[in-house]
Amino acid sequence: MKKNVSLSFMVLFLLLINLTAAEPKQNDKISVEKIDKAKLSKLIKERKGKPLFLNLWATWCVPCREEFPSIVKLTTEYKDVDFIGISVDFPEEVESKIIPFLKSNEANFVSYVNGFEGDEELINLLDKNWNGALPATFIFDKNGKKISFLEGKKSYEEFKKEILKVKEK
Amino acid sequence: MKSLNKSLLVSLMSIIFIVALFAGNSPDNSRVENFKLKDYNGKEHQLTDFKNSKAIVIMFIATQCPVSNAYNERMAQIHKDFKNKGIFFIGINSNKQEDVGEIKEHAEENDFGFIILKDEKNIVADKFNASVTPEVYVLNQNLEVLYHGRIDDSRDVGKVKNHDLRNVLDEILSGKKITTTQTKAFGCTIKRVG
Repeated sequence: MKKNVSLSFMVLFLLLINLTAAEPKQNDKISVEKIDKAKLSKLIKERKGKPLFLNLWATWCVPCREEFPSIVKLTTEYKDVDFIGISVDFPEEVESKIIPFLKSNEANFVSYVNGFEGDEELINLLDKNWNGALPATFIFDKNGKKISFLEGKKSYEEFKKEILKVKEK
Repeated sequence: MKSLNKSLLVSLMSIIFIVALFAGNSPDNSRVENFKLKDYNGKEHQLTDFKNSKAIVIMFIATQCPVSNAYNERMAQIHKDFKNKGIFFIGINSNKQEDVGEIKEHAEENDFGFIILKDEKNIVADKFNASVTPEVYVLNQNLEVLYHGRIDDSRDVGKVKNHDLRNVLDEILSGKKITTTQTKAFGCTIKRVG
């Protein structure tokens, strides 16, 4: 009898562990990989029927941090749009700065860190007329064609308007 | 008819050549307009005051931008290294939220030896089409833009490979052709009025 009770407790204990492990908080799983020219070009080109909302930001950029919650909100509202963030912090700052920032904002969309050869390579790939001012957002239609280039901090409404525009395409 | 075609072709080729010539090496192919601004002590300066310099370096900087601040020591050192070689340095602060008192304190803290002008209402930033801090322009005596872009290629001083601004100034002083006339880097957006 004693043996049975302790066995039941053990099963219950294991079950509980299993349950907690099965449903981790989404942002506990955040990983931030490096992205380079080939990878970003492929991401833009291979749209698989979805528009792309691409936000360039940095933890040192105050307006980037200010607009971030609007983007997080939009990711929950537009599941038919791919949201991708690229941080231009240094790759060695992923654990110390980028992930803590993403977690504090409950950001669950795909995030990368700049792994390009140089800043210029990334800037010019996205827009030749862009001078590197952050934040910057680029919206591509489902065929990978750039529809919007938003330089500087934007509001939730401004982002939403651009998303709706690209969804109509 | 044949000669008409030929002259049309020659004209077309000439136009293409002229366009290519002017679209060439100069970063913006532009001459900067003179401007007048006050420094943080209230003294007025105009760009033409410094026309006798071998080159004028205009640096759009900020007090609160971490990228601009990462360059404080480098800017002070470049100024020290080139000021006695005929290069004149001007810092411009066009950020609406950074007032003259803050700019003065920041300049003193960082031992900037160069003048810093306050660009109220970002009129000069608009004329230059400057968008980030730090962002530099190197002008010749005719106020033509010889170089536009970054100070060097990394905000982390330990990772710098190309000392772009220093290279341009060395080339000017040695009378060489400027090899890189335009560069880009990530920076803080200049906070404009309105």
